[in-house]
Amino acid sequence: MTTTLKKMGALVFASAVSFSLLSGNAMANGAIGDHVNNLHAHIGEYTEEVHWLESKFGSVVDAYEAKDKNLKTDVLMEYWEEVDFHSAIETQYVPIYATIWQGIYGVKMAIDNGKPVADVRVEQEKLNHALWQALGAVKLASQYQKKGLIDQVKTTEVEPTTGPEVIDDIKTRLDRVVAKYAEQLHEVATTLVHDTYLQRFEGVEGDLIAKDAALVEDLEKDFNVTLPQAISQDKGVDAVRHVVEAMQVKLDKARKLLVEAEKGRKDVF
Amino acid sequence: MQRRTFLQGLAAATALGSLPLGVANALSPMASVSVESLPKLEGDLTLYLGRGEGGLYENVLQAIEKRNPKLNLKIRRGGSAALANTIVAEKKAGVKRADLFWAVDTGSIGMVTDAGAAKPLPSDLTTQLKEGFQYPSWSPVTGRVRTLPYNTQRVSPEQIPDSVMALADSDLKLGWAPAYSSFQSFVTAMRLLEGEKATRAWLKGVNRNAKKYAGELGVVMGVERGEVDVGFANHYYTLRLKSGKPDANVALAYTKNDAGCLVNASGIVALSDGDLPVNFIRYLLTHEVQSYLAREAYEIPLVQDVAQPEGLASLSTLTPPAMDLRNLADLRPTLNLMRDVGVL
Repeated sequence: MTTTLKKMGALVFASAVSFSLLSGNAMANGAIGDHVNNLHAHIGEYTEEVHWLESKFGSVVDAYEAKDKNLKTDVLMEYWEEVDFHSAIETQYVPIYATIWQGIYGVKMAIDNGKPVADVRVEQEKLNHALWQALGAVKLASQYQKKGLIDQVKTTEVEPTTGPEVIDDIKTRLDRVVAKYAEQLHEVATTLVHDTYLQRFEGVEGDLIAKDAALVEDLEKDFNVTLPQAISQDKGVDAVRHVVEAMQVKLDKARKLLVEAEKGRKDVF
Repeated sequence: MQRRTFLQGLAAATALGSLPLGVANALSPMASVSVESLPKLEGDLTLYLGRGEGGLYENVLQAIEKRNPKLNLKIRRGGSAALANTIVAEKKAGVKRADLFWAVDTGSIGMVTDAGAAKPLPSDLTTQLKEGFQYPSWSPVTGRVRTLPYNTQRVSPEQIPDSVMALADSDLKLGWAPAYSSFQSFVTAMRLLEGEKATRAWLKGVNRNAKKYAGELGVVMGVERGEVDVGFANHYYTLRLKSGKPDANVALAYTKNDAGCLVNASGIVALSDGDLPVNFIRYLLTHEVQSYLAREAYEIPLVQDVAQPEGLASLSTLTPPAMDLRNLADLRPTLNLMRDVGVL
């Protein structure tokens, strides 16, 4: 296994475990089917769907190249939302899920803006790449799931209870911020940032202040200024993802501090 | 304006008729109780728990469970206001799923007591609380107070007015976090106490001299770095910063009898009859739990004989305003006002 695949495997594992904390009310595109808890039985189906999507997305670009006046680029989103693979990747590895949406809008905007076909093909290639990368992630997740190494996707929200759990949850929520932004759901993304701050970060920042006040202040600014502004100013998926990734590095540091704080705490009784 | 004691301020709040009738003629508080003297908890309890201080409330609950192996405690977690709405809705539907509700703010408690869902608490429990915090149908657990953190190198305490309204006309460089929820609650308190016109003028006045921060820790850090002279923040940010950096150039000042020294509290309500819910509440009021939350969360203990977080003025010297804390939930007019003035 290459280093990249190993890293992805670890990320899939972490993402799937923590995703279960959120899944119930966070989906924008309908109910999750039971198939997400039985991935290995559906890998063949997902593979067929990726081939189908590649073909359908290709047909849209072909139609653009053929100057088809009836072409409507909204079908790109409809194709994506039609497949079960959609929820398979959304529940297992949100970062690539976001990349797929970014790819779909990359193709759509290139066509809507009348870009040269060669430019549209570049966007199409990025989208196809994301789809296959996503299939790889789902296959890895299916292996972990089969071995019982990841939790089932739950349909009701479960609250994290310890500081480190809260940090994990925040990181997953931030991945979903990128995904919702990539889906062009800017208000949803902004609300998710705000809720994550109020419902999660505020609960752990107290412990962190005594350990590293500058880190907390930095994250407060990220939550309340940097990330909301990146979304409201529509700086693009890459820019929003960059802000989130920088926050996640800081959150990793915060997590270590919280683990240390808990070790040093006296018992209640 | 005549200075009032903390007790008088809280008693006046009850006189407004909106908080559950506190014991205006409060019974003399008794000494705090040790967990060693409490009965063992046995049986099923469902607690609705509002999000609080990260894992610290969870630690308290785990410790209670560990000490009471025959207690089957089920916990539903969520935002305090959302859980209060659920309890009210369940009561209207004739359903009762929760035996206890522990909320981080008084507004959510008020929703439940207003709906008639709260069960009366025995006086031997309520009298464990300090005077002014004794209520027949809910129990405060811990408190927090609005403060004015100031830079000790740039200003002396004498330069800081004891009226929050006067700060709008001062030459002090101020730090605030208008987007921060605690600050918005404070402005709501001002709007309710002083009126919209005065609050609008205050916001405009402060805005002239204020530096904006994302959150209230940022305000305290800005004060400490000397970017501003004085800030607006809840007490625990400064105390936590000082615990990690004892020589930090920041100290706390307090206004008198206005929104600038508002005290809010977390609280708990028994929703079922019987000894078990009441005895569970007794555990939260023990010397051990109150000390733990004061020590680890820097919250203000509300029973007798428990040391306050270091660096905080004695409760008896504070003069919080007389107001119905439940009305702080009425945030919409505050946000409209702040947007209208241009500070949001």
